[in-house]
Amino acid sequence: MKFFNRKREEVSNLNYSLGKLHRKQASKGWLLISPYIVHQGIFFGIPLGWLIYLMFVKWNYLSPAKFYGLKNFVNLFTDDTFWLVLGNTFNMMAYFIPISMIGAILLALALNKLKYFRTVVALSFLVANVSSGVGYSIVFQKILAENGPINKILYNLFGITIPWFKEPQLAILSIALMISWKFIGYYGLILLAGIGAVPKNLYEAAKLDGATKRTQFFKITLPLINPALVMVLVMQITLTFGIFTEPYMITGGGPMKRTYTFMMFIYDNAFRTFTRTGPGYAATISVITAAISFSCIFLVRKIIERKVDLT
Amino acid sequence: MKKLLVVLVILLTISFTFGTINFWTAPNPQQEEFWKGMVEEWNANNPDAQIKWKVIPATGSSEEAILTAIASGEGPDLCTNIFSGFAAQLIEAGVLVPWNDFDGYEELLEKRGMVEAIKGWEFGGNSYVIPIYSNPMLVWWRSDILKEAGFDNPPRTYSEVLALGEKVAIPKERYAYAFIKGKNWWDRWYDFITHYYAAGDGAPYFDVQNNKCLFNKVEGSSGDAIGYEVANFIEELFDKDYDAISMIDNALYLGAVVGQINGPWDMPTAASVFPDVYPEHIVFSTPPVPDSYPADKPIKTFADTKGMVLFNFAKDKDKIWEFVKWVYSDPEHDKKWLELTNLPPVRDDLTTNELFASIFENNTGLKAYAEYVPYAVPPALTTFTTEIQDLMTQYLIEPLSLQKETAKDAVDRTVNEINKELF
Repeated sequence: MKFFNRKREEVSNLNYSLGKLHRKQASKGWLLISPYIVHQGIFFGIPLGWLIYLMFVKWNYLSPAKFYGLKNFVNLFTDDTFWLVLGNTFNMMAYFIPISMIGAILLALALNKLKYFRTVVALSFLVANVSSGVGYSIVFQKILAENGPINKILYNLFGITIPWFKEPQLAILSIALMISWKFIGYYGLILLAGIGAVPKNLYEAAKLDGATKRTQFFKITLPLINPALVMVLVMQITLTFGIFTEPYMITGGGPMKRTYTFMMFIYDNAFRTFTRTGPGYAATISVITAAISFSCIFLVRKIIERKVDLT
Repeated sequence: MKKLLVVLVILLTISFTFGTINFWTAPNPQQEEFWKGMVEEWNANNPDAQIKWKVIPATGSSEEAILTAIASGEGPDLCTNIFSGFAAQLIEAGVLVPWNDFDGYEELLEKRGMVEAIKGWEFGGNSYVIPIYSNPMLVWWRSDILKEAGFDNPPRTYSEVLALGEKVAIPKERYAYAFIKGKNWWDRWYDFITHYYAAGDGAPYFDVQNNKCLFNKVEGSSGDAIGYEVANFIEELFDKDYDAISMIDNALYLGAVVGQINGPWDMPTAASVFPDVYPEHIVFSTPPVPDSYPADKPIKTFADTKGMVLFNFAKDKDKIWEFVKWVYSDPEHDKKWLELTNLPPVRDDLTTNELFASIFENNTGLKAYAEYVPYAVPPALTTFTTEIQDLMTQYLIEPLSLQKETAKDAVDRTVNEINKELF
């Protein structure tokens, strides 16, 4: 009996010590993450709370806000511009995602083949990514102008010109091409990291089995870089919902409002037509835009994402 | 140490007793130089009404900066760089103080010679905005190309522009006349509205009281509505390939277009970047008008104008008024403004007052602009400025430049869409 009591006491002491250690460790953990929590609270929590508040009020910055119930939502879903912008966004995705994805895969495959100066070449593709949106928009606008260099060459050689920003579909394609130019290098590097992680012995085994390069790409590379592909895809979707500078600078949302994006829609309602719509309506658009964007990401992950084991 | 404390206490007492006036001005180096000097001089002579001067913070637009500042309680008491549409929105929100409530208002209008100009800024019988400058929009023509084409003077009418096009246009290389200024809502001030005012002798394009479009209603010199007259001109320009939606940069200076609408703010850049073209090979004219427009009648144009407003949350309103009166009742200040900014101040004696003669002697371009100040009409003071001009872009300018609709259909559709949007 004494033996059992002693054991019980020992276990209880051990539990107490472990609990004390656990509490000590936990408090250290809290202390370490506290700057992050405070930072998030200030720069994410407060704006989020403010955004949620704004969704239910009508406000023009100048006079006190009035409770507006769900009217901002009703107005948004009955606003033709909202549906037009949603259509424009999917239209932009239809060009931007395949162009930049194929470009990034090709770049990653090419970089993977390089034996020397791979880092230098890879980094040189990142120059586009760090260039100013305003700056390269102006450059592209001038290059693709009706009497710009590309159209002049085409006209002199073949007697034709391409109305890059004149026709709605071409204007969307032109902007998609510009954004692809900016991001192909960045996405390419992510995919290169994915390709680099694929075990080489898989290719050797496939070669022994007589697999062609094409079969190796479609049966080994592509399935095994699935996590990197999904990551790029998520980034592409998020980016499409956030396009602002290029159409704002080049097309002003036209022609026929077909390059008008969610960000422009939010900005205009927040600051240009603030006496009629205002920040309340803009906040509602931004929350709905975020919800649509998250839904797209969720859907894409559900359809495309596969568990990959590279060990 | 004690002395220092006493001085500090006195300074604090003064600042709490009198407060400071928050004054914001346009983020433009030349205007900044002018206001810096003005504020320094005022502050040195008026210790009881100190002005804290600041440039409108850099954001997407001045309106965005002002609105967010007001919302966070950090807004200005007095602010410049206010365009008509924003002024109308602020008036509607009830945050502006009418200048005509102050003693000596009429006297200031007389002194600065802006009795007529202020009428374009009146809203409900009150004047909430003091116009600072007025930029008449004029057409810049390449005189060397005009001469080569056999034109001694710039084209005055639509037919003359089209005749010029026949002689100078080279497909995808050179265009006759850049009617379209751009794709943003504000570009409509400089193309459609400018040409509308020219064709219609300054007739209004929008009924501010009833929120109705007028440009398919008000008759022009041909008997047709002014809007149709202007739209027909756009249609013909694009039909004949004499204009393009997007041109290379600096098309006028590179000879890729023969004429385009410009403001006086384009002069310094033209002179420094293209000294071989400006001013030697540039002539100025009013915007072209319909052929039926009387030959002896002066041609009106659009006034790109911005003004100064006083917010109703300002504490020292009377002192602010004293400052404004001090700035605008002395023509020397307007002279300094003109010298520094090249933007014509809103006064009707610009070309007759000897004080300004020396400036115009050395700057013929500026003189041309100053001469048209009395003929420059400001835009409609409506809260729907951006909506109206966005719809003009979407339903008028784009379909006509893409040749997707006839002039009449495009005008009628635009009017319908605007009226529908506003009600």
